[in-house]
Amino acid sequence: MNRILIVDDEASIRLLYSQELMDEGYEVDTAGTIDEALGLLSEKSYSVALLDIKLKNESGLDLLQKLVKERHDMGVILSTAFSCYKDDFSAWLADGYVVKSSDMKELKDEIKRLIERKRVR
Amino acid sequence: MGYKCCWFNPGRNIKECPNIEEGEEYLFTSPRKRLVEKCINCKAFQEDIEQLPEESALRKIIVTLCEEYREQKGHLQSLSAFLTSKSREIKFLHELSLVLQTSMELDEVLSVAMTAITSGKGFGMNRAFLLMTDRDRKYLVGHLGVGPRNYEEAWRIWDEVDRSNFSLTELSKEFYKTKISSERAKFQDILEKLTISRNLKEHIFNRALNDRRPILVENASQNPDIDPELVSTLGVEQFLVMPLISRNRSIGILLADNFVTNKPITPRDVQSLQTFAFPVAFAIERASLYERLNDEVGKQAEANQKLKEQQELIVRMENMAVVGRITSSIAHSIRNPLAAIGGYARSLMKNGDFNEKKEYLEQILQKAKQLDEVLEEVLSYSDSIHPAIDCWDLNHLAVSVVAEMEERFEENGLTIVLNLDADLPQVWLDYKQIAYCLKTIINHAALTYPEAGTIEVETIGSEESVRLCVIDKAVTLSDEMKKALMTPFMETAELGQGVGLPLCKVILERHGSSFEIEDLQGGGTRYCIILQKQKEGEES
Repeated sequence: MNRILIVDDEASIRLLYSQELMDEGYEVDTAGTIDEALGLLSEKSYSVALLDIKLKNESGLDLLQKLVKERHDMGVILSTAFSCYKDDFSAWLADGYVVKSSDMKELKDEIKRLIERKRVR
Repeated sequence: MGYKCCWFNPGRNIKECPNIEEGEEYLFTSPRKRLVEKCINCKAFQEDIEQLPEESALRKIIVTLCEEYREQKGHLQSLSAFLTSKSREIKFLHELSLVLQTSMELDEVLSVAMTAITSGKGFGMNRAFLLMTDRDRKYLVGHLGVGPRNYEEAWRIWDEVDRSNFSLTELSKEFYKTKISSERAKFQDILEKLTISRNLKEHIFNRALNDRRPILVENASQNPDIDPELVSTLGVEQFLVMPLISRNRSIGILLADNFVTNKPITPRDVQSLQTFAFPVAFAIERASLYERLNDEVGKQAEANQKLKEQQELIVRMENMAVVGRITSSIAHSIRNPLAAIGGYARSLMKNGDFNEKKEYLEQILQKAKQLDEVLEEVLSYSDSIHPAIDCWDLNHLAVSVVAEMEERFEENGLTIVLNLDADLPQVWLDYKQIAYCLKTIINHAALTYPEAGTIEVETIGSEESVRLCVIDKAVTLSDEMKKALMTPFMETAELGQGVGLPLCKVILERHGSSFEIEDLQGGGTRYCIILQKQKEGEES
């Protein structure tokens, strides 16, 4: 089963995403801080990580750089409230980019796309 | 022996003396005064003296005393005339210096000086020219000519002046108010011909200035030291070259002549004019400095005004940036809970647990979506949250900027043509700043078009760089103008002044790019923004 890591400082978002993704048949872990995320990453491997860019006093981009360097096998999707970052980062380090929305179709499609890509490789 | 004079005829009635005129009756009672004032020059008296025996000591003494007396009297009369003329000159100079001291305006000073030289109530020269050294001290430039151009005009002017009975001060005021511009125009051709380089050391003007002494030129056409062209320009044989020097600074030259009356200029005239030249030179220098000071104060005030405007603009932009940050922060804070609210409602609907309240859930979802759209709009229009630097398609930038400007330009008959390199790679740039620079350059180019025309905007890719250029076919710039364009507040008559292009240069340099202005073959100017290509492995 594909495992997904959700990193977001908002508990409500973590809960919503994990519920929705579990309903889709994924195994889901959540982290509220970068430290928590790194702890989980050291224990388990994930197919996809979903990162919020603004994490209270931290930046999801710092974690993104680390993951891109060290976890080549894992897809990383940036999730943020700022749609304008999309043009900058989607073609840059992350594998995907979604703007937070009540409709999670785009997020789910993106996860599917990355898992599919991994399978092809 | 018959004596003719009354002295030798005691019986003769003194009142019959032919030398004593009406009003000189006091001489009848004062033999001493009669002797020195009349008899000594009386022919009869002299003839009577000569009748004395030749060997008579008395005759010799009287003749010697008479000759000596006449000589001394002539000398005294000449000194008295000299003193009278000097005292008149001092009075006249005093009057002039009062006007010169109180006048700060160059033209007013020149009016006083030139009127004094050419007026019969002043130095009475027929004509005068003033040449002034330019600011760089490279040329002596013909500045003003005063006087008639021909005989007819001369008699007319002098007749007018005679009839007006103006004092010198009144004449100079009249000249300043009504004539200075027309006189300048009247002598424009001569003034241009008189202009010379200060490097021509042997030219008589430069000699007078460098040696700091006046030169009275005689027989000009025969004089090998005088440029024949100058002789032909002035059309006189005698003229005076008077240097104007103030505090070791060469202010200029005064040329004076009597081209109508041909009255000789005497050494005394030269001396008087030399005395006059000192306060004139000082007053001209002071007025010139005052004029320049006023210019500088004006420029300073203008620069201050521009700075103030720029500061206000910066403050406005900072305020907008703050508003942008606040907007984006609020939007971010709202989007997260909104995504959660909508997401949960959607989840509940999907599970079907609340089918009887499905409408409520739909309402929640719909409103969440509506708010999400509003947020998207707010964030899209909040400029301040744009990233500073990103990888952009320069062609896209050019198209957007031109689209924004072309409607306004079309109203003025100007067309902007795009000539874009289709294979242009994306480059790292600050979109807002480069767009600002492009707009500024296009606006600048548009100002140079006197009427309808076409401005070209082109992009060119090369191995090292990407160029974004604006082609202005209306104007070819001199090196000086190019330099002026890159200097804030520096003015060129043709291009005005401002901070637009200098600011672009600073923006581009900070951006790691460069700005060049090139001449176009066949006329025109190309303004180029040169952006370096990002090399592989380089960080932005």
